[in-house]
Amino acid sequence: MKPQPVELGDATSVNEVIERVLETRLREVRDLTTGLRSRNQQGLHDFRIACKRLRYALERFEALDPSLESAAQRLAELQDALGEAHDRDGLLAILPSAMATTERRLRAEREASVDRAVAIWDDVRAVMEAVNSHRV
Amino acid sequence: MKWLVKIIRNERRALERARRRFIRKPNEAHLHDVRTTGRRFRSLLEDVAALAPSERLLRRVKRAATATDAARDATIILQLLENSVEPSELPHAQPLLDELRKREKNATLRARKELRRMRFAP
Repeated sequence: MKPQPVELGDATSVNEVIERVLETRLREVRDLTTGLRSRNQQGLHDFRIACKRLRYALERFEALDPSLESAAQRLAELQDALGEAHDRDGLLAILPSAMATTERRLRAEREASVDRAVAIWDDVRAVMEAVNSHRV
Repeated sequence: MKWLVKIIRNERRALERARRRFIRKPNEAHLHDVRTTGRRFRSLLEDVAALAPSERLLRRVKRAATATDAARDATIILQLLENSVEPSELPHAQPLLDELRKREKNATLRARKELRRMRFAP
């Protein structure tokens, strides 16, 4: 999934660059929350990649704006949960059919990871709203 | 924007250092480093493409990521299977465990070969 382009042509300050990058990456994540709600493999994958881009942007700019740190930390936790679900999807796709007990356990763990991701996302959203209102 | 030039130079050097570490010692930790620094650098180049276009470099960073995908996938899936297999089902898992170990080894060697040919900074 290609990242949305960031409009920076007329940006003249570091702050403007930070704001536009974060706005674009946050919009990208919001546009893909349907993937998190749907809980399907492709939707979760796209949402995870968009979260990664937002997290990297936050971590890059947090030295210039420490208010971004808490959002970056929550996003790291969100990514851990989404990563655990993704890894289980990868193994489930090649698991021999004779391993029914292992399969059941992996599916349960996957669903628990997605539940955790949904809960963390609600937190991240609130933290990001606070960051946005502070920056405006 | 001086800070932008500096940040690109620093991340580019970090990727080159990670690449060299992986070439010297192609293990799981160094593979992880080279992938993480590569993803961060790629994300930076994409974020600031309008101010600092670098299509050729971006393509090289993407190629490096692709070269390490198979090794990373095999490592992660192997560890997960080792940790989650139900003891009574181990005989059914054994052929897959063997296959994944072989895949991990070969894919890591292939990634090293590919990354030897790439440079990200002088």
